[in-house]
Amino acid sequence: MTEQLVPEPYFAATISENNITLGDSFRFDIVSVNNGDYADIHIVSVAFPDLTMVDDVVKINTYDFTLSPSYIHVGEEIGSNYSGGVETTFSQYPSIEAMSRPLKPDVQTHFDLLITPKESGIFNIYVKSIGIPHTSDLSHYPYSGFLDHQNEYVSVYSVSVNP
Amino acid sequence: MIIDTMTISTSKPSETFLKSRSQFIFLIGSILTSLGILLVTVGGSWDITNHLLSKPETFSSPPHALMYSGVAVTLFGVVLSFVGWKNLQKFRTSYFLSLKIKLIGIGLLTGAGPFDFVWHSYFGLDGLLSPPHFTLITGMFLCSIGGMVGISRYLKFHNSKPVSKYLLILAVIPVWLSASGIISSLSLPFSSTDFFQFNPEPTFAFIVASLAYPFLISFSLFTVFRLSNYQFGLVSILGGLFLLIYSSTAIVPNFAMLDTVQFYSLNLIPFVIADVFLKLNRSKLSLFFTGGLIGSVFYMVYYPYVMYTYNEVLLGKLVSPSLIYFVYFELIQTVLFYTLIPSIVMGVLAVVVSDKITKKILIN
Repeated sequence: MTEQLVPEPYFAATISENNITLGDSFRFDIVSVNNGDYADIHIVSVAFPDLTMVDDVVKINTYDFTLSPSYIHVGEEIGSNYSGGVETTFSQYPSIEAMSRPLKPDVQTHFDLLITPKESGIFNIYVKSIGIPHTSDLSHYPYSGFLDHQNEYVSVYSVSVNP
Repeated sequence: MIIDTMTISTSKPSETFLKSRSQFIFLIGSILTSLGILLVTVGGSWDITNHLLSKPETFSSPPHALMYSGVAVTLFGVVLSFVGWKNLQKFRTSYFLSLKIKLIGIGLLTGAGPFDFVWHSYFGLDGLLSPPHFTLITGMFLCSIGGMVGISRYLKFHNSKPVSKYLLILAVIPVWLSASGIISSLSLPFSSTDFFQFNPEPTFAFIVASLAYPFLISFSLFTVFRLSNYQFGLVSILGGLFLLIYSSTAIVPNFAMLDTVQFYSLNLIPFVIADVFLKLNRSKLSLFFTGGLIGSVFYMVYYPYVMYTYNEVLLGKLVSPSLIYFVYFELIQTVLFYTLIPSIVMGVLAVVVSDKITKKILIN
């Protein structure tokens, strides 16, 4: 009678500079879109594996998701394996989740950050997007690659912070 | 002296009018009370769906407008009932029960507004079950009972024509809807907030839904049947109206479930069967069979939200709005396996209880 919806989230992220000097900032802009069916929930998660707290390192510049951003702290119980919270784990690093409820097909959302690392070295950022209902492997992006602490695929972006 | 005479001469016709029409005024008050609660319950069901779909909510959203208009109409209805009752020349004691229930109900209903405001100020958004919401629903339930008793007694005392018995539909539907609201509050897992975890314990919720919903369906239909002195057609109309309200507020707003309206409308069949069966045979066995039949279809009648209650215990899945249909049908066999017999028993029990209650309403 009725067909199961398959949302297909996708995002493109750009970094303003790949090399910065300690104390400088760089912009990290994400444009996400739902290329599939209507999504009950569209999530874009940005995680910072080199941080223990987001603090004033990360500032949100642009945000047009329908729900307020959710800050996840280290040690918090979070969903895993794309189970929508049925299976859980504990977060090992901080992240910020942007959510739109619902998101119609082909609608773009923006999530732009201004990041000022406090330590030199490589500053990594993990990004992923999930559509709910999570009805197929197309309901998350990226589809493969690096697995994060939630056992879910992420795209890894890095900036070199010089002393 | 002249002024006094004038006051007396102008006040007399209005007093005479009030006294001669007091019962009719009381009836209009009761009708407005029931109508107001009907508006509040329809708005409330629509509002729950909007929350579930995360549709943007403003103070002036259509469901809110419907609810606030309903409260205003109810308040006006209770005031009118009071004016009518105060001027009654006869049946004053008989109508007092209706008035008393309405006054308690409207006290709770209007008090729930400021209570809700204070609650929101301290604890942010609340879920389906919270102290102010429960106060509101209890007030709605009592007002609807008061309206039903008032309308039923008026029709009884005036030996009304069969056509006026259709008013009983308006009298019973708000009772059915507001009682559904109480059961939903105590069984649906929609009440968890940052401050309070008011979600009912899943097993308790399972039991409440499995026993109370079938009882309520059967009770409502048998109550209208008995209050109307067994008039044919009222059971079908009341059942059909419930399905219409529920489908237009809980199914149609969710586009992922729009196709399922046809499935939902099939629920009319057991109501019509019950109506025809009661027309042909009113033996005790027939009444019990009908009650059991009506009670047994509760999982279908309360589609889609009842699924959330059973999902908590049986599957524990995350059910986003577009998945409701799929999880509902995934559960249907298991739910029927566990609830079929208890729901039939509750449907039969409701036949007995409605007999006692309607006698109390009508024999005074």
